[in-house]
Amino acid sequence: MWGPGPEGRSMSALLPLKGIRVLTLEQVHALPWGTAFLADMGAQVIRIESVEHLQDRKAGPFVNGKPGPEWWNEGANLAYFGTRNKQSLCLDVTKPAGKDVFLKLVKHCDIVTDNFRPGTMQRLGFDHESLARVNPRIITLSSTAFGYTGPWAKAGSRARTVDSVCGMSYLTGFEGGPSQRASNNYMDHSTGNNVAFALLLALYRRKRTGKGMRIDLSMQETGVSCIGPAILEAQRGIARPRLGCSHLWKAPHNIYPCAGADRWIAITVSNDAEWAALKQIMGSPAWADDAKYRSVEGRHQHRHELDRHIAEWTAPQEDKTLMRSLQSQGICAGAVMQAADLVDDAHLKQREFIQTIQRAGGPRLYAGRPFRMPGLSMAIRRTADLGEHNEAVLRDVAGLSSTEIAALAADGVISNRPRPEEKAP
Amino acid sequence: MSAEGILSDIKVLEIAHAASGAFCAKLLADQGADTIKIEPPGGDEARHEPPFIDGEPHPDRSTTFLALNTGKRSVTLNLEEAAGRALFLKLAADADVVIESFQPGRLSGIGLGFDVLRARNPKAIVLSITWFGQTGPYAHYKGDDLIAQAMGGFLYAVTGTADKPPMGTTLQQMELTAGRNGAIAIMAALLARDESGEGTHIDLSVMEAAIATPSMLVQNYSYLGKSPRRGAFDKFVMDGMHLPTKDGEVTLTTAGTGGRPMEAWAEFLGEPRLLDPKFATRASRNDHWEELRDLVVPKLKEWNNLDLMRETMARGLVIGLVQSPTQVVESPHLEARGYFVELEHPEVGTLKYPGPGFMLDGANPMQTTRAAPRLGEHNEEILGRLR
Repeated sequence: MWGPGPEGRSMSALLPLKGIRVLTLEQVHALPWGTAFLADMGAQVIRIESVEHLQDRKAGPFVNGKPGPEWWNEGANLAYFGTRNKQSLCLDVTKPAGKDVFLKLVKHCDIVTDNFRPGTMQRLGFDHESLARVNPRIITLSSTAFGYTGPWAKAGSRARTVDSVCGMSYLTGFEGGPSQRASNNYMDHSTGNNVAFALLLALYRRKRTGKGMRIDLSMQETGVSCIGPAILEAQRGIARPRLGCSHLWKAPHNIYPCAGADRWIAITVSNDAEWAALKQIMGSPAWADDAKYRSVEGRHQHRHELDRHIAEWTAPQEDKTLMRSLQSQGICAGAVMQAADLVDDAHLKQREFIQTIQRAGGPRLYAGRPFRMPGLSMAIRRTADLGEHNEAVLRDVAGLSSTEIAALAADGVISNRPRPEEKAP
Repeated sequence: MSAEGILSDIKVLEIAHAASGAFCAKLLADQGADTIKIEPPGGDEARHEPPFIDGEPHPDRSTTFLALNTGKRSVTLNLEEAAGRALFLKLAADADVVIESFQPGRLSGIGLGFDVLRARNPKAIVLSITWFGQTGPYAHYKGDDLIAQAMGGFLYAVTGTADKPPMGTTLQQMELTAGRNGAIAIMAALLARDESGEGTHIDLSVMEAAIATPSMLVQNYSYLGKSPRRGAFDKFVMDGMHLPTKDGEVTLTTAGTGGRPMEAWAEFLGEPRLLDPKFATRASRNDHWEELRDLVVPKLKEWNNLDLMRETMARGLVIGLVQSPTQVVESPHLEARGYFVELEHPEVGTLKYPGPGFMLDGANPMQTTRAAPRLGEHNEEILGRLR
């Protein structure tokens, strides 16, 4: 399935990974998010799928929450990272014929990635050593919950359990309140970003040394790398408090209510000059002249009272108008945006950050990548239907004849639609 | 892998004053890139961020600075003065990568814009990493991590619960996410430069990194017609809630139960009342979540965290221990993995630092790095040879 996307306007002149071929046995979120970066950069990323495990294609979300007749090709997240700029090869690698095909592909690939639990690749005969015998320059990456070694190697995870086990959740929460998960999927994204970084490092090294590499990537460890200061503090008995939207030394530094339901503005003040400017915009109320608010330390010590005063002032105001007004006076402020605000935001529009593609019966919006480089399009250029590239990949990469490909299809080793008994999600 | 690190043929100059650029440069430095952090004479702002090792404010003892600046050398330069700028341009002349986080236009204003750098060094890859990017109506807005969480949709939709005001997360995560994206972009630019011989200018926005990270917001809105809101997991006793154990907290999941979560957990916890039909589906569990919680919690309280982890793992169940940073530092698993690397620092002594999250050919690449530099530690070593 192809979306017209913006590439007609800026067809990528720069494809840093052109000629690089990636085979990926991936599911759920973290690894697909990582390999999508490589696909954006021009690598041929062949996503190997199985009709036995269609969870990602069932995950949606679907238009208005309703799976359509071809639900397996319609989910929103497939386009964002699952099959983004990738190819789909629906191949049963647990069958001997499927395994043979897989190893033929490995011979002509640069990278093999997986996010099975440790042990599965070995059981399939696809561990690094076996693949390196087929292709000595191969780079392999296994993305797992806890890595390939250590007493917890066999444990599974979800992004939210990584959030808790890495220390992030413990540090997150309202002041004096219980621990709280930072996010249901932040660790998927951090891990995915780390996947992309590690693979690019391995490619860089191989260009210089000719050597392949085995990468053992851990979601938990990626998570711990996000809380470095707290890790150092813990070793010297410094307890970092939960602070909600407050700060260790800045005040005001919080969110404040605005007009409308569930509307808020974040305001943060770092120094006396910013405080003076804020006082002036507030109309120099008498309370703000209290001596206790004169210093950074004083404002922080009395931040709860300070927050109540500011909240009274912001409550009747419109969030974005107030943001513009405060920023124009040099005060750090930002409206608490909802998705509806983001898709309508003038700044993001001018930067062409939100991409529209034709998909699932209409124009659909997607967030872009946060970086821009001249000539490099990181846009969604296409998405892949289930098994869409079976024939092209088997013919052009594995070198199979059309007779061999037809035999694989007849034996159910490759397919391009769910089995008849499969139920819609 | 070589003892020198993958990027040891790369020179990086960092003139960033925020966590985003510092973290990005650290990711490269820890892989062996020769990374010089250029600081104003008073030191990078992070040097003055509490808390400090041993309590008292000291420019070499901020934990934020120490954590985000491993692998680098430090040079102080006053870019407000012509002499400082001249030295900077000499350093930039043979840099592969320059990471900067000045307000858009500010570097041009002092004669160090991209065009000037490019004239000096056409191979330089310049990463500008700012709150809102180089263009657009917010380009000159001020920011900090909370502002990025707010404007990136994270506050409204990601952390927090449905019944409370938005609540964010900690330790500058939007900036770190931007930094990781920056490292990806730089690696792409380095690989592209191998072919083209030319540098480039990368424009990276922390706000956009925040949006791209809790990424379901925009497409969810587009497909479902409403803005996602925080708190979707609030009542998920079996799949998200933090529950107390004997010595901590845990979050359960229904993963690894073969689609029969209540059977698996009833058996594991020894609580047959979990098999009551009213807990059979996710929706019905939500309807009776308080009752369910009151059945599960007393059983969980019989367990220590590490025992619970070992025994659930043995049965293929998936849980998340809510670990404190101290528990993470003392984790037997991470110890066995060789995840933390001890680095010696003259002011704060030896501390364990987190690795990048991946082992390369079985080795932790952090082993070749060094602790954060003291303020201006390498002035003589680096500037001496330029004079």
